[in-house]
Amino acid sequence: MKSRLDAAIAGLGTAGLTRTDTRSAAEMARVAVIAAATDAAIETASIDGLVLCRSGGAGDAVLGLDLQRALGLRDLKLNRITLCEGASALAAIQTAALAVSTGMANCVACVFADAPVTPGTQMRAAFGRQKTSTGMEGLRYTAGLFGGAAVNALSARRYLAIHDLDERVLADVAITSRTWATRNPEASYRKPLTYEDYFAARYIAEPFRLFDCAAPVNGAVAVIVTTRARAADGAQPAVPILAYAEGHPGTPDRHGFDRALTHGGVIAARTIFGQTGLSSADIDICELYDAFTIMPLLALEAYGFYPAGEAIRAYANGAAGPGGDGMPINTGGGHLSGYYLQGMTPVAEAVVQARGAAGERQCAKADTILVTNEGGRLDYHAGMILGSAAQWQ
Amino acid sequence: MTAPPIPDADPASAHFFTALDNGRLEILRCRKCATPHLAVQVCDVCGGAEMVPETASGTGSIYSFTLSHIAHHPAFAEQLPFCGGIVELSEGPRLFAPLLGSGPFAVGAAVTFERQASDGRGYAAFRLTAQPAE
Repeated sequence: MKSRLDAAIAGLGTAGLTRTDTRSAAEMARVAVIAAATDAAIETASIDGLVLCRSGGAGDAVLGLDLQRALGLRDLKLNRITLCEGASALAAIQTAALAVSTGMANCVACVFADAPVTPGTQMRAAFGRQKTSTGMEGLRYTAGLFGGAAVNALSARRYLAIHDLDERVLADVAITSRTWATRNPEASYRKPLTYEDYFAARYIAEPFRLFDCAAPVNGAVAVIVTTRARAADGAQPAVPILAYAEGHPGTPDRHGFDRALTHGGVIAARTIFGQTGLSSADIDICELYDAFTIMPLLALEAYGFYPAGEAIRAYANGAAGPGGDGMPINTGGGHLSGYYLQGMTPVAEAVVQARGAAGERQCAKADTILVTNEGGRLDYHAGMILGSAAQWQ
Repeated sequence: MTAPPIPDADPASAHFFTALDNGRLEILRCRKCATPHLAVQVCDVCGGAEMVPETASGTGSIYSFTLSHIAHHPAFAEQLPFCGGIVELSEGPRLFAPLLGSGPFAVGAAVTFERQASDGRGYAAFRLTAQPAE
């Protein structure tokens, strides 16, 4: 295995992760960065790079470059915001990995924070905002398609239709995530979910029911990225960044193309496996962006684990769940039952697994972990392979 | 009845929205390579910048759809669940649009253009073909 990156994740910090935390996103970001530095046993002041990512609708007032001042950092060699919607977290970590690999910076904090849940406001309001009021994209609001659920439901509906599948496919994804979440103390929803519970829940945007949609929280996740050598000397087992790739298909909205199902993971998989010599068979665990149940199915197919329309085989008979006989998927409960902090949710779980620190949900083999991020309407995709120190240091 | 938010035109979509405000559904066909577009300034296939307006047939099919059970806007509050989706015009381009009719809606089902208007603005909705307007 060859890697072009000399970078590893040395620290992980979180803040909030609940619906009831009323701190601002910026404040939680500050707390999470300090927690990540503490986890890595480094002084906050030794951070020399900062890469922020934030929710698509959020501006500088939510999380901006003021974070540097709030952290008292006076000597940054890198200070940046990555903007590719849900794929921003991996993009941030990639920026950090490139910076430390080339010596541009040595110790970079990457942080995502969001506080969509306000007391007294219904959850639907948090994600039902209008993102644009111009042009053809703005037409989605004339069709009443406000939140991410409605737009991703279009992918799910088409997927089920062209592969002649029914909603049990989505149920299997939701139930597997929940089974993992019962073993994760930080997960939002930890009560086991049955088929009966799943099908009894109300529809949000068909074919999505309540349990097909992510668990929104207020919170922040930060990681510290440094060189492999420095990470190896750290307080925690280093988590080497083995490979990273993006894939953005730019699919036209017209006959002959299939924008709702054309996934950038196809492009990214080519790069990521080509760079490393690894293949999908070498992946021990997948931590996939799963704001909606359709998303991990599309990612599994894009990365070549299954042919189109067959990803549900990954979940059959609990195969992807705890104690299953297949590849474990979204071992912390993902966005669906864990917590929705966009691209950082799968990163955080991958780090915990690679360190062997996942407690009751620890996978027996966690040496090579695929992490994916999705942004927009399959507009942005990023993938990363994280490794264990034992196997890859 | 409250109207849904109708987007403002940007430079690429100016022709499309102006035509709808005036009652017509129009596509823009690239003069050089004949690729059908709805709202572009430059053809992504050949780079051609000359577009020929063409009245759309008004027929199409459902590329995908969802029945929404939550109204994020007052325009939809009284019609839950309501159907919205992406329509592929017979000419080829696709657009987001409200879908009308009593169902059942299906991927690939034939639909027909039905203009909606509010405050001097027009937007495109599509009705399941062979289901008469109420």
